[in-house]
Amino acid sequence: MITARAVRGSLPLVLVSAVLLVLFAGFPFVWMISTAFKDSHEIFATPPSLIPRTWTLDNLQRLFAETKALTYLRNSVVVSLSTVAVTIAVATPAAYSLTRFRFPGREQLAGTILFTYMFAPIMIIVPFYVMMRFLGLANTHIGLVLAYTAFCLPFGLWMLRTFFQSIPLDIEQAAMVDGANRLQTVLYIVLPLALPGVIATSIFTFILTWNEYIFARILISADELKTLPVGIADLYNASVVDWGMIMAAGLLVLTPVLGVFFVIQKYMVAGLGAGALKG
Amino acid sequence: MPPTNAKGTDAGPTALAQTGLARPRPLRLSEQATGLLLVLPAVLLLLALTIYPIVYGAWISTFNKHSFFPEQTFVGLGNYTYVLTDPEFWNSVRLGATYAVASIVLQIGLGVAAALVVNETFPGRNIVRSILIFPYVIPTVVAVILWKWLLNSQFGLINYLLEDAGLIDRPISWMGKDWIMVSLVLVSVWQFFPFVVLGVLARLQSIPGELYEAAAIDGANALQRFVHVTLPQLQAVLFIVILFRSIWMFTKFDTPWLMILGGGAETYIRTLPVYTYQRTFAYYEAGIGAAMAVLMFLMLAVATAIYFRLFRHEEAL
Amino acid sequence: MLISRRIARVALALGFASCAGAGLSANALAQDKLVRVWHTETEPQTIKAFNDIARRFEAKNPGVKIEAEGLAWGDLEGKIMASLAAGAPPELSHGQPITCTALQAKGLLNPLDEVVKAIGEANIWDQVKRVCNVDGKQYGLVHAAGTSLLIYRKDMAAKANLKPPKTWADLLANAKALTQDTNNDGKIDIYGITVPGDNLFINIMLGELIKANGGTLFDKANKPQLTDKRMIETLEFWRELVKYAPPGWEGHGYLQTFQNLHGQKAAMMFQGYGRGAGMIEKFAPKEMANDKTFDVWIKPHGPSGSAPAAQVDEEPWMLFKASKNQKEAIEFLKFFYQDDNYLEYVSTVPIHLFPITKSLRNSAKYQNVEMIQRWKGWIEVQQGYLDKDQGKPTLVVDWADMTEKPYLMEVLGSGILRDMVMDVVVEKMEPQRAAEKAQKRLEDLMRSKGYLKG
Repeated sequence: MITARAVRGSLPLVLVSAVLLVLFAGFPFVWMISTAFKDSHEIFATPPSLIPRTWTLDNLQRLFAETKALTYLRNSVVVSLSTVAVTIAVATPAAYSLTRFRFPGREQLAGTILFTYMFAPIMIIVPFYVMMRFLGLANTHIGLVLAYTAFCLPFGLWMLRTFFQSIPLDIEQAAMVDGANRLQTVLYIVLPLALPGVIATSIFTFILTWNEYIFARILISADELKTLPVGIADLYNASVVDWGMIMAAGLLVLTPVLGVFFVIQKYMVAGLGAGALKG
Repeated sequence: MPPTNAKGTDAGPTALAQTGLARPRPLRLSEQATGLLLVLPAVLLLLALTIYPIVYGAWISTFNKHSFFPEQTFVGLGNYTYVLTDPEFWNSVRLGATYAVASIVLQIGLGVAAALVVNETFPGRNIVRSILIFPYVIPTVVAVILWKWLLNSQFGLINYLLEDAGLIDRPISWMGKDWIMVSLVLVSVWQFFPFVVLGVLARLQSIPGELYEAAAIDGANALQRFVHVTLPQLQAVLFIVILFRSIWMFTKFDTPWLMILGGGAETYIRTLPVYTYQRTFAYYEAGIGAAMAVLMFLMLAVATAIYFRLFRHEEAL
Repeated sequence: MLISRRIARVALALGFASCAGAGLSANALAQDKLVRVWHTETEPQTIKAFNDIARRFEAKNPGVKIEAEGLAWGDLEGKIMASLAAGAPPELSHGQPITCTALQAKGLLNPLDEVVKAIGEANIWDQVKRVCNVDGKQYGLVHAAGTSLLIYRKDMAAKANLKPPKTWADLLANAKALTQDTNNDGKIDIYGITVPGDNLFINIMLGELIKANGGTLFDKANKPQLTDKRMIETLEFWRELVKYAPPGWEGHGYLQTFQNLHGQKAAMMFQGYGRGAGMIEKFAPKEMANDKTFDVWIKPHGPSGSAPAAQVDEEPWMLFKASKNQKEAIEFLKFFYQDDNYLEYVSTVPIHLFPITKSLRNSAKYQNVEMIQRWKGWIEVQQGYLDKDQGKPTLVVDWADMTEKPYLMEVLGSGILRDMVMDVVVEKMEPQRAAEKAQKRLEDLMRSKGYLKG
C-alpha cells in the first residue's frame, strides 16, 4: 500500500490531535460503562464520579430480568442478517449484470439508483405502512426485512457495482478463452475477487439495519418483535428513567458489535475506498 | 481502488476496468436476456418497495385523509397550498437546513482532519483508527440517549466538567431553547464524522507519495502541500460524501425526534422530517404529511441539480 | 470461491427460517381464545405483576390466553388508531379519558357495566365513574387514579417558616423563598420550583390552572376562551413562576422534573405524581428518602378562583366493539379488580396507582403496604382531591366537557396551547398578544374540523 503523508507535520501535533480525537469519539463510551455499573443512588450524586465508588451488576441484572432486552437483541440480529442475505442475494447478480452486460435500460437503471437515494424513509413511511398492512405484513419481521431491503438495496447495488467495475475484464476473458463457461468464471474467478466487496457491502448493510429506528417503530408494535433501537427507546421513554439500566442496555447493544469490530474494520475501510458512500 | 488481493497488478487493467464495459462485445440475444434476468429481482424489489410507495405517497398528497381511517376526500392541490402557507412548515425547513448545513460542515471538517491524523504513522495508530470509528456503528438511539445523559443540565458530566474548570458559572441547559440545536448538531457530528474519516482515509492512502515529494522539492510547506496536492485528490471523494451526507442530514428523522422524546425544547429542533412525522402521526393528517414529503423531495432534487451543475466531477460517478 | 455464494445461500435460508419461525409462533396462539390487552404501565415491576395476574386468570380459565403489552403513552394512541383502521383492535386497552370519549362518540366501544356491577357500583369512587360515562353507561373503567401533586421539601420549608400556599401569590412567595444559594458562592444551588416543558404536561398544567382560576378553555358553543381575563392571569402567573425554575426548564421533560427534585436541584415540583415517591426512594440520598423531607401541599387557587384543581392520571380500560373475544375480556377485568389481584397490581407503584375500589383502599392489606405507610400524606391529599371533586382528567375543566367536547384530543395534539404558554413564558411575548394569536389558531382548527360554526 502506498501511503501518502498528507501533512508531514510535527509528530507532537499529530499525537495531540490523536488524543483529542480519541477523547471525543471514545470518552462517551467510558461514561456509558461507568454509569452502567453504578449503584442507582450514586448516579445522581454531585459531583459525579468517573469510577463507580461501588461497582454493581444490579443494572445488568435488572435489564435481563425485567425487560425483554435479550429478545430485542435477538430480533435485531435476525432482521439485520436476513436483510443482508436478501440484499446481497439480489444485488450481487444485479450489480454484476450492470457492469458486464448490455441491455436496454441499463444506464437508466444506474441513474434510478441514484434517484432513489433521495427518498428518505420518512417520505415513504406512510404509504409503506399502508402497503404492508394491505399485504398482512404489518407487525411481522418479514415486513420489516422487506422495508430494510428496499432502503439498503440502492446502496448495496451501488457499492457492489463499483467493486465489480474494478475487477478487470481481462481475467474473465482469459478464463473463458481457457474454456471455462460464464458461470464457472463467475463462481471461481470473479466472486473470490469480489468477496471483499461483498463483505464490505454486507457490513454496511448490517450497520444500516442495526441502527434503523423509524421503520421498526412504525411497522412493529408487538413487544416480542421489537428490535433493539425501538426497545431501547421504549425503555428510555418508560415511566421511570433508569439511567443505570439504560446504559447497561447500551452496553448490550455495543458488545456484539465491538466483538466483531476489529475484524470488520479493515473491510469497512476497503469498502469506502471503492468510492461508494452512504450514511 | 482494486482490492489488494486482486490477481494481476493495478497498473494496466485498472484504467480499463474503471470505465466498465470498455470493449464492445457482439450482442447476443441470450446475453441480453441473461443481463435482464439478473437484474430483474432487484428491479422488482425496487419497484415494489420504493417506487410504488413514492407514487402512492404523491397520490395521497392530493387527498384529505385521516392517517388511519379509510375515508378520504379529494382536494387536488389544497394540501400544498396549506403547507406552503403554513409558517410552521417554513420554520421547520429553516431548522432542517440549519441542522443539515452545520452538521455537514463539521462532519467534513472534523472527518478530514481526523483522516489526516490517522493517515500518519505513529504507535497505536490502528487502535486510534478503530476508536474513531466506534460512534458510527452504534444505533442512533443509543447515541442520543448517551449524549442526553452527558448533557443533562443538572446531572450531566459535561456541565460538571465545564463548571469545575471554571469555564461556565451556571449550568448550560443543553436541552433548552438556546442550546438544543447545538446539542443536536454535536450528536450528529459525533455519530457520523467517522464515516467521512473512512471515505477520506481510503482515498488518502492511495495518493502517490511522489506527488508530495515533488511538491516538497518545489519548496511547499505542509499546509501548501495539503492545499495543492491533497485537496485536489480528495475532490472526488468529497463530492460524493458531501452529496450523500447532505441528503441524509436534511432528511434525518430519528436523531432530532429522539432528542425531543423524553424532554427537549421541541419547537427549536422541529426540523422538516419531524414536522412531517407529527402531521402524519400526531395530527393524523396523512394527506398533509404526504404533501410535505413530496415538497421535501422536490427541494432535495433542486438542490442536488444545482450541486451537480456547480461541482460535478466526472470521476465521482 | 464457492464460499461467498454458499454463505449467502445459507444466510438467506437461515434468515427466512427465523422469520418464518417468528410468524409461526404467533400463529400457534390462534388455537386458544386470545384476549389482547394494552396498558400504559411500563415499569418492569408492574408489567410483571400484570402478567402474573394474567397467568393466574389463564389457569382458572383454560382455553383463554391473555396477551398483555405495556406501552408508553405516546405510542398507544397511534397503535390504537392503526389497529382500528386495520379492523383488528385489541379487546382491551388503556387510553386517555378524552380518547375514550372520542372513540365512544365514533361508536367504537362497548360498555363495561357488567364489570362495574361485579365490582359493586357503590364500591367505586364517584369521581372515577364520571370518566367516560355516556348516557348512563360506563364506556371506560379507570384502571387506577393518581392525581397530580405539589411536592415540596419539607425540611427546607420548615427552615424558612413557610406556610402551605393558598393562592398563587403564596406559591410565588414560597418559590422565591426556596430559591437559595446554599453554599454562599454567589450562585443559586437550588431553585424554588421545577415545571415540565413538554407538550403533554404543559397542556395538563394549563387545564389545572385555568380551572383553579375559575375559568374554562371553551364555552358551550365550543369557542375558545383564551383571551378571557382568567387565562391572561394564568399566563402571567406562569411567567412569574418560571423565574424560580432552573434555567432551560423548557427542555425538561416530565421525568427530568422528578430528577430535579430528588437530585436536589429544585425544592418544589408543581406537576408531581405519586410515582415520585418511588423515584425518591431509589435515587435520593438514603437519609432523605422519606416524607419528612419530601411532602405534598394542596395546590393553590388563582386570583379569580376559589378552589384547588388537580389533574388525575386515570386511564380507563376500553372494550372495543370490533374485537373478537369480548366476553373473555370482561371476565378478565372482573378478575383483575378482585381485591387480591388488584392489590398486587397497585402495590407495584403504590403511591401513584390509587385504587378505584373503596374495598381495597380501606382494607388492612392495602393500608399495611409498607410504602403506603411511609408516604401516607401523599395518599391522603390524592384522596382529598377525589372526594372533593377537585380532580379532573387532562384538559377537562368540567365533567360535561367529557361528553360535549370530543375535540380535546386534537387540541392536545395540535400544540397550540403549548405554543401560547411558551410565547409568554419563554419568548416573553405580552400575554394578551400571545392569547390572541393562539385564539385565532385554535378557532381556525376548530372550524376546519367542524366543531365551531361561523
